[in-house]
Amino acid sequence: MRIRAERDDLADVLVRASRAVGTRSPLPILQGVLCDVVGGKLTVTGTDNEVTVRTYLDVEVTEEGKTVIPAKLAAEAVRKLPPGAVTLASVDGEVEIIGSGPRFKLREMMVDDYPKISDADTTDAVSVDGTGLIKALAQVGVAASGDDARPTLTGVLFEAVDDGLRLVATDSYRLAVKDVPGVSAEGSKLVPYRALRELGRTVGAGTMQVALGEREAAFVTDHGRLTVRVIDSTFPNYRQLLPEGHANRLTLDKGALLEAVGRAALVAEDHIPVRLAMHSGGVELSVIRQEVGEATELLEGEYIGEDMTIAFNTRYLTDGVNAVNDEAVVIETSDPLKPGLLHGADENDFRYLLMPVRL
Amino acid sequence: MRIRIAECTVRYEGRLNAYLPSATRLVMVKADGCVAIHADGGAYKPLNWMNAPNTLTEDDHQWIVINPKGEKLIIDFGEIHFETALEMGEDPGLQKDGVELELQRLLAERPETFGERMELVRREFPTPIGPVDLLCRDGDGVSVAIEIKRRGEIDGVEQLTRYLDFLNRDTRLAPVRGIFAAQSIKPQAKLLCEDRGIVWVEVDYDDLKGTDSDVMKLF
Repeated sequence: MRIRAERDDLADVLVRASRAVGTRSPLPILQGVLCDVVGGKLTVTGTDNEVTVRTYLDVEVTEEGKTVIPAKLAAEAVRKLPPGAVTLASVDGEVEIIGSGPRFKLREMMVDDYPKISDADTTDAVSVDGTGLIKALAQVGVAASGDDARPTLTGVLFEAVDDGLRLVATDSYRLAVKDVPGVSAEGSKLVPYRALRELGRTVGAGTMQVALGEREAAFVTDHGRLTVRVIDSTFPNYRQLLPEGHANRLTLDKGALLEAVGRAALVAEDHIPVRLAMHSGGVELSVIRQEVGEATELLEGEYIGEDMTIAFNTRYLTDGVNAVNDEAVVIETSDPLKPGLLHGADENDFRYLLMPVRL
Repeated sequence: MRIRIAECTVRYEGRLNAYLPSATRLVMVKADGCVAIHADGGAYKPLNWMNAPNTLTEDDHQWIVINPKGEKLIIDFGEIHFETALEMGEDPGLQKDGVELELQRLLAERPETFGERMELVRREFPTPIGPVDLLCRDGDGVSVAIEIKRRGEIDGVEQLTRYLDFLNRDTRLAPVRGIFAAQSIKPQAKLLCEDRGIVWVEVDYDDLKGTDSDVMKLF
């Protein structure tokens, strides 16, 4: 195999494919990326056997062929070459990476050891706006759990609804729901969020084909393809958690609320909740930590309802407020021991349900 | 248990002689014959005491406690402020919070801690070399032997390995996979688990007990 490409382009496809390579893979071959050159096109594949990323680049081909090279090292080596054309060539068990001056020789890994990964069927794929999908996933992804002991909660539910696609994630303390209208999805599938959060940095935005198969989900753009094994389990019945309505409604400036919660979090750390004493004209945020001290702040806002104090975990509250795509945030509540609902004042397609902390 | 709070002086005659001048004290005579004299302070150590077996002879103002070695406590009482006696029955013994038995009980009630659709088959499942803490069956019907420790160390992994060896000889159960569970597991024990194909799980005791009650969940 021998190809020639621009440094930045080659580094880009190597780096993006490398994002699927696990840092602690039990199989040494999975520390490598497969470079496959056919018909003027380089395909780079990285995988950890759960998530697979393929990236593509049109290159100048001297000799077609395949090689497996150490993922992180090769990507870094190309990235650190001087600007200009780079040659990548497989020669006698070694891979040469040659820039204008510097030259690397890396030990080639065994191509036959690399897992045979076939592309998931995308004949039933739906076309979506990739940029919009990535933003929507970022909104709900904050509520996904990172605890592998409960795999169901580490995924984002892709669910077909009447007028499009609904994305749902929960870690049992909060629940985020985002509706993406105009996407003609079918059925529902649970896709690991750890793979979804890589979409922007692997296959990129633009028009994206999304195929949700029985075993795998595939996300394909002109830049590449990300395939991930879907989670085979039943997502909690989230619909019964969504309240019909709340008695109290507090509207605040998003930026001011974020700053105030950030200040309160200095005292609170993670385990002390921030109290929201809501009353006509706004809310008083306070944190009391016996061994350290306290923080109090009055935020002006619009409040409709009975005076009430409710407490939330500061990090979960911050995540929810951050996820709102609006300058004004609405916090709806009914009882200090029942979930509060966050959403944008003019945002009807995103809801963030947050369980309070008992005072 | 007999308890008397009274003004008293106490003399000890035995390996040495000791004397407690007059003061208000708590004198306890336990069902087994132990006698202990306490001041109003200190968590556990009496001012003077005599281990059972003892012989107690008493009159209105004096108790004499003698043990088989002839050592003697002579307690002379003045004003008696309070006295009572009651049958306390057999004590169940000290049960430390967080011991393995409690962890085992809690995890037996919540086998889903080890994976969705995990079901308990039996606690203390017998093997020829002793019982393994839990035997479960996972969602695919595979038997899972679970050994539970407070602190997960290499010894525990070795113990589970031996159980698995015997359990896998039973064709009705095999294949049996192993899970090593503890509140905290040392890195060496984790490595040994991974090397032997045993899954390790660190469990949160407070979470299992439900003592983290300030934190509420949606479901």
